Amino acid sequence: MWRQTNQLERECSTFATYLSGRLPTPYLIEKYLDFHQKLGEKTAADRFDAFLVGVAARNAVWTRLADSYTRIFRPSSVLRTKLILVLALLECAPPSFEALDRVPGGGILGTVLRLAGASARFVAAALAGAAIFTPVRFWMARRWSAS
Amino acid sequence: MERIVVVGSGASGVHFALSCLLKGRAVTMLDVGFSGQEFPRPDDSLVGLKRNLPDPVDYFLGPQYGSLALPGRHGEYYAFPPGKDHVFRSAGAPQFRADGFSPLYSFATGGLAEVWTGGCYPFDDRDLSEFPFGWDGLEPYYTRVAERIGVSGCEDDMKSVLPLHGGLQPPLDADDHSAELLAAYARNRERLNGQLGCLMGRARVAVLSRDLDGRKACSYSGRCLWGCPRQSLYTPSITLARCRAFPNFQYLSGLYADHFRMDGSGKVRAVVARRADGQTEEIATDTLVLAAGTLGSSKIFLESIYRDSGQILSLGGLMDNRQILMPFVNLRMLGRKWNPNTYQYHQVAMAVRVKESGELIHGLITTLKTALIHPLVQTLPFDLAGSLSAFRSVHAALGMININFPDRRRAENYVTLDTSATPHRLAIYYRPDATEPARLAQTIAAFRKVLRKLGCFAPKPMTHVRPMGASVHYAGTLPMSESGDARSCTKYGASRDAQGLYFADGTTFPSLPAKNLTFTLMANATRIAEEAF
Repeated sequence: MWRQTNQLERECSTFATYLSGRLPTPYLIEKYLDFHQKLGEKTAADRFDAFLVGVAARNAVWTRLADSYTRIFRPSSVLRTKLILVLALLECAPPSFEALDRVPGGGILGTVLRLAGASARFVAAALAGAAIFTPVRFWMARRWSAS
Repeated sequence: MERIVVVGSGASGVHFALSCLLKGRAVTMLDVGFSGQEFPRPDDSLVGLKRNLPDPVDYFLGPQYGSLALPGRHGEYYAFPPGKDHVFRSAGAPQFRADGFSPLYSFATGGLAEVWTGGCYPFDDRDLSEFPFGWDGLEPYYTRVAERIGVSGCEDDMKSVLPLHGGLQPPLDADDHSAELLAAYARNRERLNGQLGCLMGRARVAVLSRDLDGRKACSYSGRCLWGCPRQSLYTPSITLARCRAFPNFQYLSGLYADHFRMDGSGKVRAVVARRADGQTEEIATDTLVLAAGTLGSSKIFLESIYRDSGQILSLGGLMDNRQILMPFVNLRMLGRKWNPNTYQYHQVAMAVRVKESGELIHGLITTLKTALIHPLVQTLPFDLAGSLSAFRSVHAALGMININFPDRRRAENYVTLDTSATPHRLAIYYRPDATEPARLAQTIAAFRKVLRKLGCFAPKPMTHVRPMGASVHYAGTLPMSESGDARSCTKYGASRDAQGLYFADGTTFPSLPAKNLTFTLMANATRIAEEAF
């Protein structure tokens, strides 16, 4: 139980940092745990999903790789569910909602550059994610189907 | 004094009841009547709520996270806020079995219009061509209702499809994005009106821009989606509260009206209602007015005929407005700041004549401000952090057109009674006509052209055709007609199948134009009360 809570807190911290650049408040972590307690079935993971969540919780770089991979190949995965949960929590509570509401500067040019940057980062991360996670997925599928 | 029994406290029921009460009639209203919670911190803006509520996640997502939009939820860009859960609370056993239709029911005080977006769009003579009266017959009641509920709007290009009635308050302050869209329309008006068949103007909404009868004008707190704590945005429960101040009004809640009883001559004698504990209660009446919504009223009618004669009838002609949600980006608004302290629902209305089909299609433009962003962010084509970064840059530029299609009565779309379940339930069958896919495609193309001319871009994959039943504009199962046929009503909503039975809701509409029907429901119920009672 303690280990599970510790893992969930770690997930929440990493995912909040990935999305907002800041650690979550104790209130946000409490709500993250509350969701898992009340709606655990929404985050019931198969082996590969659990692997992706575990890897993504290591740090924000791994989160981006796993997130980009699941955006294309597993859009309804548990990792996506958890990331969207954290995003929803961040947008509802202070101080994170104010950061999410803030419009980045730079006008139209800044927007275009940011969109181009987001696209490039996403393509690069998705390619790297596919190179790393696709073999793992096939290996897991073969191993567990053989046993 | 003869007491009129009204079933249902929705938009139709409360305006029918109030009109009767103002004439000195005695009214009893039967209602299940689920109610919601008080609004927390009524003086706070939306931003203030997020800062000051002790548990903001509980308020915005719900204690069971019901407003959290997780992956796999296709199409809908909004989740109903938890504070409005009571509006869709079930009243026991399933009410329906549906094929090709996704109905929404409400047993809340005030009905489904407790979660409406306030659009008040009068039907013109073309819209009323199959009704037994025209604009002249309905205009006084539009005015009466507008004076009661407070409708803001103004005279502009939309006048040719949204005729002007009395009682309009000045329009609300437009947010920056809506103002930009209207400015783009003004710059390109000639081409939009001519080649693209598009008219645009200010939305007409049941929101106060001036104080009215103790209600306060809109303060632009940005809380519209979560419920207006000042009652500036009209809901039927406001009129119900007014009815309850009359000594000759009786409100019986906790009652689910199941059927009525007739005597041997086919005259209504009583209505039978169930309590939550399963006990039934019989209320004697000679005049029963069904205003439980088209599906609710049809079920009561079908159940009553079945109990009286053993016949299982089918009521053909069920209608609903097909809706399409079309998100778009306004390129002129990219990178601009947005103001949460604005009115949140649609501020711009438009009508587009689609060349190929000849249909006049109505659209309502909502500019995105304080709605929860996670349902939209997850649909963007990047990883979530990238999507969030992109979204923040384009937030002020995002908008959504809600496109409404007209519907006609067709015999193959019907409701009947399913007696295989206990209690009986309504069986609903709906199939769009064969031309619909082509008409939808033509309309989507026409709206995308209009948006391009306005300097906007609508990503094709994000356009979402909502399932039939999602608009909650149900109508047409017992239409008003002058033919005198069974399973129809007179122009005053009097049933031709049971004496003393009236319908005051959308059940009686003979056609459904491409407009939100709620304002017309209120006006028609008022007309029936004033002219027939």
